[in-house]
Amino acid sequence: MSQKFENLSALVDGESSLSDQVLNAVKEDKELMQKWKNYHLIREGLRRELPDNPNLDITSNVMAALESEPAILAPNNQTVRKPWAAIPLFGGASALLKQGGHMAIAASVAVAVILGVQQVNQPEIEQPFSAAPPILGIQGGLSPVSYEQTRPVSQAADAAEYKHRVRAYLNDHRQQMRFKTLPSESVQGDAQTQHQRDESVLAKPSVQN
Amino acid sequence: MSLFLLNRLFKTNYQAISLIAGGLLFSAMATAQQGEAETVPSVQHPADTANQWLAKMSQAVSSLNYSVSFVLLKPGIDSQPYQWRHGITATGEQMEELNLLNGPGRKVLRVNNKVGYFEPNVPPYSLESSSINGPFPINLLRQPERLADGYDVMLMGTSRVSGKAAQQIKMVSRDKTRYGLNLWLDQTTGMILKMNMFNLKNQLLEQIQVTKLEVTEQPDAFFEQVSATMLPAVVPINDKGIQPSPWKINYLPTGMQITKRQKRRLSSNGALVDYIMLSDGLVDVSLYISSILSNQSSNKVVGVSQTDTVYTLQNGPWSVTVIGKIPPSTADAIASSIQRLGS
Repeated sequence: MSQKFENLSALVDGESSLSDQVLNAVKEDKELMQKWKNYHLIREGLRRELPDNPNLDITSNVMAALESEPAILAPNNQTVRKPWAAIPLFGGASALLKQGGHMAIAASVAVAVILGVQQVNQPEIEQPFSAAPPILGIQGGLSPVSYEQTRPVSQAADAAEYKHRVRAYLNDHRQQMRFKTLPSESVQGDAQTQHQRDESVLAKPSVQN
Repeated sequence: MSLFLLNRLFKTNYQAISLIAGGLLFSAMATAQQGEAETVPSVQHPADTANQWLAKMSQAVSSLNYSVSFVLLKPGIDSQPYQWRHGITATGEQMEELNLLNGPGRKVLRVNNKVGYFEPNVPPYSLESSSINGPFPINLLRQPERLADGYDVMLMGTSRVSGKAAQQIKMVSRDKTRYGLNLWLDQTTGMILKMNMFNLKNQLLEQIQVTKLEVTEQPDAFFEQVSATMLPAVVPINDKGIQPSPWKINYLPTGMQITKRQKRRLSSNGALVDYIMLSDGLVDVSLYISSILSNQSSNKVVGVSQTDTVYTLQNGPWSVTVIGKIPPSTADAIASSIQRLGS
């Protein structure tokens, strides 16, 4: 048992000389297959590349569920036919309906599986930049968005004052960033690597974003 | 097999693959541009790990003669094209120029440790600095080894960026509390070709794309006309550094330190605030603490301005505002941990 995991581990690490043999074994063995997934999951975890919402593979569960519930896929003939057949006008059509119904159910199951698989296996798309949502406010401005507020900013005066204050902070922060400098080589040994200038001595520099 | 070992083996495996891929790409490139590859100066530096690549980049940025055009893309504002040139003259003087090409412009010129700023609406002035602080984070370019406390650096695959074979490097904060970086470095020279900043969900936040990179034997002719005497006088500094303060921060993300702590008077409205600056080398975070009476005894507001998070926590009689390129959750964690000593 442990030998077979050892072989798989070696293969995943790219160390195995028996790759074909091990791969075949993985195909045959459910337990090994699970291990195979887990090893890769562990690797992602160790390299801190796990997505926030891991795309857990639920296809096998869906398949199992579908197989174990034939009653829904092929409904009892009696319950389907009776009401329709009882009405003379629909009597003839019921056979067609029945067939169509079966096909519809089969089709919808197929669609559900395809959708499910697509959802599950969707790759993480790196958003193209042009598609970035323009939520980030006006140029140089700030658009506060309520966040976990215990109470809404109720009074307009309060909100306006807050906006004004935050804008002043933001300008100050931008200035700090702009006057950031790097000490010359000779003093780089100092513990303090960051060295920013106080802009108050400057004649009101414009804030550029 | 232990997990640690597994991880290590994966990494080496990855590197081997990327090296092979790089090799293939290289041989293809070599046949495509014969001769050119031989004349282009490059930094002789072994580079098989991510840290060595960063060191190679840092050395290239400070020692080569180059001319770079790049575009800075941020959501919410227009794209910003820049020209960035660097040269070491025959007399050994370091010269650097950064030029914003759109609008009224902004020109920054450095000769050795003197940096002159030429901007509209402001009389020109100089600061003392060994590098121009441009869109690329200054510490990333100059002292990447100082980011090791806060960030994991990983060697990724190779690809083609700005028409050159590039090595990708990924930087992720060790405690997953800050945004990460993807860097693409020119395989020949080590110069930076592209930088993506992404959030914790791997969504792109900010991008710098180099559109042209020229590394030359001789410095750009432009630098021949430049001398230190052309720069305006250095503005005297008034940096109060870290001063004692009644505020205590109980939570800091891994690798972050207090780099400034002082009382400041804001230039825009004259208000007096307690100011604290935090930095991990890559990002700087400003904290403004003021006692403001509000109707609400407890309130949290978050906003975003470009890629800066602006987070305000009203906590009883005082309010803390955190500004910087960090996720709101981290800003909240820092702000919530602040405590007034002796109260």
